[in-house]
Amino acid sequence: MSETILTARGLVKDYRMGSTPLRVLHGVDLDVERGEFLCILGPSGSGKSTLLHLVGLLDRPTEGQVFFEGEDASARSKRWRDKQRRDAIGFVFQFYYLMPDLTVLENTLLPAMISTSLARWPFDRAARRAQALAILKELGLGERALHLPSELSGGERQRAAIARALVHKPRLLLADEPTGNLDSATGGEIMKLLERLNRDQGLTIVMVTHDERIAERAHRVVRLRDGRLLRNG
Amino acid sequence: MNLDWLSSGWMILALAGAAAALVGVAAAFLLTPVYKHLVCLRYLFSGWKAVVPVVSALPAALGVFLLILVFAIMDGFANDTQEMTHGTLADIILDAHLEGMPYYEEFARQIETIPEVEAATPTIQTYAIARIEPTRAVFKPIVQPCLLIGIRPADKVKMGRFRKYLQRQDPTKGEFPAESLLKVPDEVKTLRKEAGLQDRPGIIGGIGVVGTATHAEQTRTVTRGAGLRVLLWNLAVLAGIATLFLWQTSRRRPGRKGWRLATRAALVMAAALTVGPFLLPDRLAQVTRREVVDFPLIGCWDDLVLSTIPVRESGGLDVGPGGVPNVSVRKFTLVDTFKSGFWEADSSHMYVDFAVAQEMAGMGAQAAEDDRPALPARASQIHVKIRPGADGPAVKEKVIKAWQAFAAAHAAERLPFVKIQTWQEQQQMILTVVQIERNITALMLGLMFLGFAILTALISYVMAYLKMRDVGVLKALGARDAGVGSLFLGYGFIIGLIGTAAGLVYSLLMLKYLDDIEQWVNDVFHVNVFPREMYYFDHIPQHLAPEFAVAVCLSVLGLATLASLAGGLLAALKQPVEALRYE
Repeated sequence: MSETILTARGLVKDYRMGSTPLRVLHGVDLDVERGEFLCILGPSGSGKSTLLHLVGLLDRPTEGQVFFEGEDASARSKRWRDKQRRDAIGFVFQFYYLMPDLTVLENTLLPAMISTSLARWPFDRAARRAQALAILKELGLGERALHLPSELSGGERQRAAIARALVHKPRLLLADEPTGNLDSATGGEIMKLLERLNRDQGLTIVMVTHDERIAERAHRVVRLRDGRLLRNG
Repeated sequence: MNLDWLSSGWMILALAGAAAALVGVAAAFLLTPVYKHLVCLRYLFSGWKAVVPVVSALPAALGVFLLILVFAIMDGFANDTQEMTHGTLADIILDAHLEGMPYYEEFARQIETIPEVEAATPTIQTYAIARIEPTRAVFKPIVQPCLLIGIRPADKVKMGRFRKYLQRQDPTKGEFPAESLLKVPDEVKTLRKEAGLQDRPGIIGGIGVVGTATHAEQTRTVTRGAGLRVLLWNLAVLAGIATLFLWQTSRRRPGRKGWRLATRAALVMAAALTVGPFLLPDRLAQVTRREVVDFPLIGCWDDLVLSTIPVRESGGLDVGPGGVPNVSVRKFTLVDTFKSGFWEADSSHMYVDFAVAQEMAGMGAQAAEDDRPALPARASQIHVKIRPGADGPAVKEKVIKAWQAFAAAHAAERLPFVKIQTWQEQQQMILTVVQIERNITALMLGLMFLGFAILTALISYVMAYLKMRDVGVLKALGARDAGVGSLFLGYGFIIGLIGTAAGLVYSLLMLKYLDDIEQWVNDVFHVNVFPREMYYFDHIPQHLAPEFAVAVCLSVLGLATLASLAGGLLAALKQPVEALRYE
């Protein structure tokens, strides 16, 4: 029996461009089942990244509700939303967004470091480090753990970003154009990796892309155009 | 080092508060998420960017350095001047002006019954003219005004540092009984008798009255090597920064042994450069420089003449037949010279025995005459010494009350108006000038701190602006707004800490080797930083109050942290989505 991990109801998002209000999303409804690999497909400027930010609890909708694991996020505090992002949600961005001053290993350990105090860290450090190194090894970055992001290729950087998104064992992975900045071969590798994570670990993945061929690899594709969902299912 | 300040009640309370705050800060520090420490460290010491906090810390270092150094020297001057001023006076002075006060003995004993009072002694003080016939140079006799002070030497030495200022009877050079300080020694009397000279009462003359000051080349032994020490310590700082940089780099490249070796080498070098200068032996050298030197016109056992006009109990001059004031003239034998370093005293004070001065000033007891009753003896002042730790102004109030009661008891005799002041009140002019100079300097240096605060705020803001993408990433990963904001507060705090530590260490080293460094600057650059021909001090005076140094350091730390709010608020208030879109 399937279980809904994420639900969006009537999501509206307005931005203000100077004095002109700009509506990016026009009442979007979306359901994501646990273990599903969902792709939101749409051209540039259709509002797919905005939708991803709203369902990832990074931003608040102007109108509408987001339910994460049955909890109404709009009714909960910012602290609660921070905690969900810390514990249950993983993000992968198009431009990787690795911190340039930290090594790959340190970048991967960031979620653990955000949720652990300095006093507790000496006790947790070895286990967390071993866990991060295991993920990096699994993603083929075992030898690159102590390198800076600037010393990695694009594909390696995206794999490092995925490692960072997975290290705290999230229940939902949100990927914003994860192959958008990569060549097709490297992009293919990243897609294979995401498919494997979904298949082997049952990880729920919501990915946005503008690329039809990439979208085809998901279980389900929804199309977004001018801030409106065209098809759900 | 005087650590009395540590035992005061307020200081104990302040230290307890500081300890509690420290425990609180340590607990808060340990409970903060570990990412803040890592990211902050990487921002500070990551590659070439390590230069940024070092450069940013420079204004703080300069501020702490200048504030501590300038105030230590100013306070040194102020303290030395106050000490000299105080040393020539007493703690509390009762001044009955030139007309004097009767029953001074009775009242002095009454003052001594106040528990906080150690001793009280009457003094005569009147204006006189000194005629000095130089014996050490071919000049005409010199006539100049002076202050004739009648003292009881055994009591006077209890009042201040009188004995310390005597040049012949210097207590470090031998045993000189207090009661004999104004006496001509018997062997001198014998010699004078053989030379046909009469016995005269002794006098102690201010060095500026019986002589003059002149500029002359003086050769002194000084310690050399301060320049080398300072140079080595500067290199130690650079080696320390290099160590931090190499350490951070080697941590991220554990596979490369070269970085680790370089880190260790830099650490050893920094340690050697820090400790080494302390082990360097002091090199002594002879230097010749122009200084103020005393040039006595007469020496001990030479005679001089003092003239004064007696003042009657009524306040009028003692006038003889024809309306001409009677002048009291007396010859004295110089038994010692007096040099306190306080020019006002050194250029006017002439100390003679109390009874002699009393007679010259016309203040002795007078028998009854036809139309006037007998008059008691008078003294122009009573000097009071209070016990160590007693509160001067509070004791003064007790003395005032005692005098009011004493004057009421003698209401029929109409006692004179007596001005009762602490020594600080009497020397208020000098002390106020020092205080004003201190305040102006504090204001100027305070403006520099304002500049430092603005600079730190700008650096913190620019840092947060440049790292906005990181801010977005951290927030996307679940870091809280306040946590991300405090990252930049920590950055400012560490900049402040580096600057404060550097400024404090440099200022303490500078104060330790102040005279040597001054000599070094003089030798190398031929710049006379502290012209000794202008001052009485043969060294640059300095006095650093530990509580002042602590206050300066805490202020800079607080200011740096507060100024970093600019970057902290920018980071904390930025929405994660906006931060991630930052270009």
